[in-house]
Amino acid sequence: MKMPANCQLQIKISFAAIGALVLALGPLVSRADETCSSPYLARIDGQEEFVYVWTLGVEGLGDGADKLVTVDAKPDSPSYGKVINSASVDGRNEAHHAGFTDDRRQVWCAGLETSRVFIFDIHTDPTKPKLTKTIDNFAETTGGAIGPHGAYALPGRVLIPCLSNATDKGGRTALVEYSNDGNYIATHWLPTKNDARGAANSELADGYGYDARVLPRKNVLLTSSFTGWNNYMMDFGKITADTEAMKHFGNSMVIWDFHTRQPKKVFAVPGAPLEIRWAWSNNHNYAFTATALGSKLWLVYADDKGEWQAKEVAPISDVKGGVLPVDISLSADDKTLFVGCFGDGKCRVFDVSDAQKPKQIYEKLIGKQVNMVSQSWDGKRLYFTSSLLAHWDKQGADNEQFLRAYAWDGKELRPSFDLDFTALKLGRPHHMLFGSTKIGSPRIVAAR
Amino acid sequence: MLLHLQNARKRVLRMNFKEIGVFILAYTFALCLTNASDSPRDSDYDYDPPAPGSYALPVVKLAADGALLDTNNKVVNLRDLTHGRVTVLSFIYTRCAAPKGCPYAVGILGQLHDLTAKDKALAKTIRLVSISFDPEYDTPQHLAAYAENIREENSGCEWRFVTAKSRAELEPILLAYDQAVDKRSNPADPQGPLYHLVRVFLIDRQGRIRNIYSSGTLDSRLVLADVKTLLLEESKLSNQ
Repeated sequence: MKMPANCQLQIKISFAAIGALVLALGPLVSRADETCSSPYLARIDGQEEFVYVWTLGVEGLGDGADKLVTVDAKPDSPSYGKVINSASVDGRNEAHHAGFTDDRRQVWCAGLETSRVFIFDIHTDPTKPKLTKTIDNFAETTGGAIGPHGAYALPGRVLIPCLSNATDKGGRTALVEYSNDGNYIATHWLPTKNDARGAANSELADGYGYDARVLPRKNVLLTSSFTGWNNYMMDFGKITADTEAMKHFGNSMVIWDFHTRQPKKVFAVPGAPLEIRWAWSNNHNYAFTATALGSKLWLVYADDKGEWQAKEVAPISDVKGGVLPVDISLSADDKTLFVGCFGDGKCRVFDVSDAQKPKQIYEKLIGKQVNMVSQSWDGKRLYFTSSLLAHWDKQGADNEQFLRAYAWDGKELRPSFDLDFTALKLGRPHHMLFGSTKIGSPRIVAAR
Repeated sequence: MLLHLQNARKRVLRMNFKEIGVFILAYTFALCLTNASDSPRDSDYDYDPPAPGSYALPVVKLAADGALLDTNNKVVNLRDLTHGRVTVLSFIYTRCAAPKGCPYAVGILGQLHDLTAKDKALAKTIRLVSISFDPEYDTPQHLAAYAENIREENSGCEWRFVTAKSRAELEPILLAYDQAVDKRSNPADPQGPLYHLVRVFLIDRQGRIRNIYSSGTLDSRLVLADVKTLLLEESKLSNQ
């Protein structure tokens, strides 16, 4: 129904009044946090104080177990750039991605091999995450989804995009929801040709999954696609030599109605589109992704008619065979995109002021291999880790395992600190999350 | 509209300075949301809401019980406020002045209340509950005055304002509903002395939480679609 003209005027007046009142009351809470996080997440004031690193255990190295490592990121701290805590879990689970709950009181750390999810309390003492619960019946509870790939904060719950299924351990998979206190809620299977559930372009639907991210003001959820358990647990050299295995990678992205969790349209995005980064500006209706096997930047965007589309917008290097771009980080002003390239260990930086025409403006060798890249909300600090998957990491001298921090001045990356996770007997560092004591004091009642 | 503003002016005159600021925020949001279920998109909620009944709302968990105080200073069981009707339950504190915080949540419930004043059938079906997590300030007497200022229509659905005897009695309820509340480091913070996430719960007649909204998803059109989805679900089940 069309809104009456007088109502439109009323709303304009009202928002003007709000603006005036906000100014009278003082500034809103400033945002300072990594730019890759869920928009539903509580934000940190000021600089990140800790970097939590979800780390794969290595047999014979230290205790050999997966662990959540806490690194001090306060520049004025005596332990700046040092490991200040390490919280191990039971065994090796192919630690991969992790995520906060929306109140930022818990970190959910997922294992791709065992499908176990480890829930840490980081609120009671942010310097010492404490394991409080383990979900170890994931496949049974979710109706056969396996390979939980981190956790994405939604109001009062987390969304866990998965990579595989218990039936054939291939790429068909699902999105799973749990409440913040660890109760299973629902499973939403990715659409396939034979079960498109109303999605347009159903012939493109391969059912694969990887990342899942929401643009709240458009009520859309976007998912990407990787590969199943059979492939991500196989040695990388074997996969590339196995033509049949190479057929089992995702070549699609799906846009969903977020509120109803119904898939709406499937896009052809060949070559395993991985991380999704929605732009932050209120009038930027687009997201970037990078295809790991295609070495391309893709844009998913609303066209002039508001219809969602996907298009390739730039190559990521001209290196023959590609550079295996595995993570991207978009600056809070939507102008700069950092791309972690596992193949040659470089970070490539793109000017994406014109999202349709990204231009590479800088590159730097981070190490023999590089995977995740995370940046602070002000864009001045970037952190890189090295490990992709236990069976995909490089061998011998190329198997560097590190957390490396850099300062970014808009033109170049300058080293801040460097932690050797092998020398420290920790393992293979993967996903990073930022923490702070300033996100809140203890509950009002508990403090009494 | 003119009468609306005159009434609001009278209410403001009965308040102290701090309350005036909070009231203006809540009232402004309520104005913004008037007829929002009929309204098209805006920049914060730039989409069309789904058709009620075209989707499912899986059970999140059971709504917890607990002892609270109503605005008459009488003990009420929260269970009695989360069963028998479709309930929209919000945690608030009246000193909150964060634009996207409690004033916004109260504005959403206020709009639902106004809608039920025009829809008698809906009024008999749903209930609104606002629980204060600031019991020392939000006493039953204070909440009663606040409720009188906020509720626009006497003929709308049941809208209960409740608080607790003490913070200690409130704590298990906050934990059960996963409602984080912290003191701000600056008690004189212009947004209010407490830091919290916005949490609004949709609860079915059987006392099961079916959706949780925060400021990013608290769109009155979505809440109304969800309420109607639960009612259609009941209708479908009763016909089976």
